Amino acid sequence: MELALEYITRGVLEVFFTADGQFDWLPLAMVFGGLLLGIAIGATPGLNGPFAMALSLPVLISIFGHSDEALLPILGFLIGIMKGATIGGAVPAILFNTPGTPDAFLTTLDGYPMAKKGLGIKALKIAHFSSVSGDTFSDMVLFISAPVLAVMIERVLDLPEKSALIILSLSFMAAVAGKSPTKGMIIGLLGMLLALVGTTLSGNGPRMTFGIAALGNGLPLTSAILGVLVLSEVLVGIEEMTRARRKKITTLIRLPKGDTNFGWSDVRQLLPTIFRSAAIGTAIGALPGIGTTLAATLGYDAARRVSKHPEKFGTGIPEGVAATEAANSSVSGANLIPVMSLGIPGNFAAVFLILAVESVGNFTLGPSVFRFNEIKEIEGYGTIINKDLVVAFSIFTLMVLANLFNWTAGGWFMRTLGILSRVPKSIMLPAVLLITLTAVYAQDGGFVAIWVVVVFGAIGFVLRKLEISILPFVIGFLLAPRLEELIRGGYSASGSDPFFLVKSPIALLFLALAVFILVFAGRRSADIRT
Amino acid sequence: MGGKTQKTEAAPDPWDIGFGAALFVFALVALFIWFPNDIRGGFVETDHAGKIEPGDAFFPVLLACAILALSATHVLKVLLLQRHTGEDGAHAGLSRDDLMFLVLFNLVVVCGLAAMYWLGPLAVSIANAISGNELTYRQMVDTFPYKYIGYGVGGFIMTASLIAWAEAGLRWQAIVAVMSVIAVSIVVFDILLINVQLPPNADY
Repeated sequence: MELALEYITRGVLEVFFTADGQFDWLPLAMVFGGLLLGIAIGATPGLNGPFAMALSLPVLISIFGHSDEALLPILGFLIGIMKGATIGGAVPAILFNTPGTPDAFLTTLDGYPMAKKGLGIKALKIAHFSSVSGDTFSDMVLFISAPVLAVMIERVLDLPEKSALIILSLSFMAAVAGKSPTKGMIIGLLGMLLALVGTTLSGNGPRMTFGIAALGNGLPLTSAILGVLVLSEVLVGIEEMTRARRKKITTLIRLPKGDTNFGWSDVRQLLPTIFRSAAIGTAIGALPGIGTTLAATLGYDAARRVSKHPEKFGTGIPEGVAATEAANSSVSGANLIPVMSLGIPGNFAAVFLILAVESVGNFTLGPSVFRFNEIKEIEGYGTIINKDLVVAFSIFTLMVLANLFNWTAGGWFMRTLGILSRVPKSIMLPAVLLITLTAVYAQDGGFVAIWVVVVFGAIGFVLRKLEISILPFVIGFLLAPRLEELIRGGYSASGSDPFFLVKSPIALLFLALAVFILVFAGRRSADIRT
Repeated sequence: MGGKTQKTEAAPDPWDIGFGAALFVFALVALFIWFPNDIRGGFVETDHAGKIEPGDAFFPVLLACAILALSATHVLKVLLLQRHTGEDGAHAGLSRDDLMFLVLFNLVVVCGLAAMYWLGPLAVSIANAISGNELTYRQMVDTFPYKYIGYGVGGFIMTASLIAWAEAGLRWQAIVAVMSVIAVSIVVFDILLINVQLPPNADY
């Protein structure tokens, strides 16, 4: 316990002080700046947290570089965006009946009727309180469960089991994130295959480059993921607009002004709803691949079921706003449980945190991080310590800071952002395209990065049109190098046994579960369609 | 004959079959043409101690085999098991309009990028013709206004064209917005950040 406390203390201090003991304001400022940007992005229809994280990452790396010292400021900013965006989305939903994201649609059900009754500001305060409460609850679950889970995994799992666990996670994501699990799995494997272009582990020179010298260093990871995620979104958005030719995205009506107070009596009344939704959102968020929409739907549905007046839901009641916002915001912290304990991202925000960690410094995410090695001071050598564990606790500290800023300044800031909801998507999306291309060019220093964005954008567009989730593709792309290392290592360690993956009972169980999930979810989706 | 509202069995989704078939063919091409010609190491290799180790082709071949098996399973499943109701006949897929949009969108992007790439050097050539100098763009790549001409004009062509396409016209507010985005990008990426360059300057 003492050792754990020592690591936690060092993690906290690393955020606030430099190596030579000076107070370091930079991580705090970055968290605060990221939070404000995240709230603004969330309040802008057509943009979302992962969008902003995607665009910020290359800029942040250009500013801070790749050294160990750059990690905390960069992660602080990204965590700030992630948390800010979860509350910002409520602004257009409540004030303008414009759901920027699918889960925000549920906020419009009671939020906008409240605004029409003159309770718009009160609805925003409820949304903020519920959202930050849900987020804080989910972070607390993360802080406790991730280290425990990681320690258990590290004790029990070896190379074959870890390989099988990645395959199981991918199949789970394929099953829950799209309409066809088999197609999701195939596309996840395709993402893995493309991630291998230009890489080598045997020293035989780059492989799978089609003879293109520029691909010798591999496909630029950030560019590929930005292409699939951001450019494909821009493509789909502009295509929709060219068909609809709607110049105005919202019909603005003048809303009346009424009661804006949100006091302790409201808090007491809403706490059971918030707690229930936060628990649902946290449980959903802990499973990789399941998004905020399901959490918001289940949270709203549960609140309606236990309510004494279920017929009032949808007419503009505080419980409706609180149930949705607490549920969808509590997903974000819990989504980091698979990241911190397994090194497997469960959503797009987690993808960008992993990308940052892989691009900057020598830190790795995964179960090996939570090794509580004894801290030893050796004269003339320095301190022997698990640096990764210290950084993990620094990341938790950054999350707590983001929550504190969110509790204090977040609510005020989100209520000032109604104007952003009026920025038309027709201008926003082309601007996002230009900034994306500029950012990847700046990071990778050449047109190759831009062509990769364009090609992967086309891949993402086709996948979206075929209604295949792009999440398994992105996760596959990201996890390919790790899975290759694990599989090669497992094969070598087994004395070149071709059946090494199925000889371990746990690995066999994971693989059987992966097959079961694909078959079972495939049958269910076929049943739903027929 | 069933009435219009009666559910009827229809042919399996052609996009489902096409997806599986395309990935099946891709995996075959990867296994028998791409990998043998583009991966120098083998599937397994024997090291100096006589121990068999995985080669560079080990993991790609495993992945391609998995794609092959899953895509074949997918096609068979669609053909043999999956029945669709013929009520609306709506399938997820790429329409001709989608493909046309994708081509046109990329054409706009490529035109913008081409302008970005060539306008700087073109401006230097024109300046050379006027002044009689023999300067190259590489020499002028860090000099105002040459270093911003390609990015500014190319970026404007790309974003303004897409906005005009989406809105069926170009309002002055959109022009101001585009110019502001370009100006902010120049300030951030060229003035505030020291070690990075705007497109296309790092390529010269």
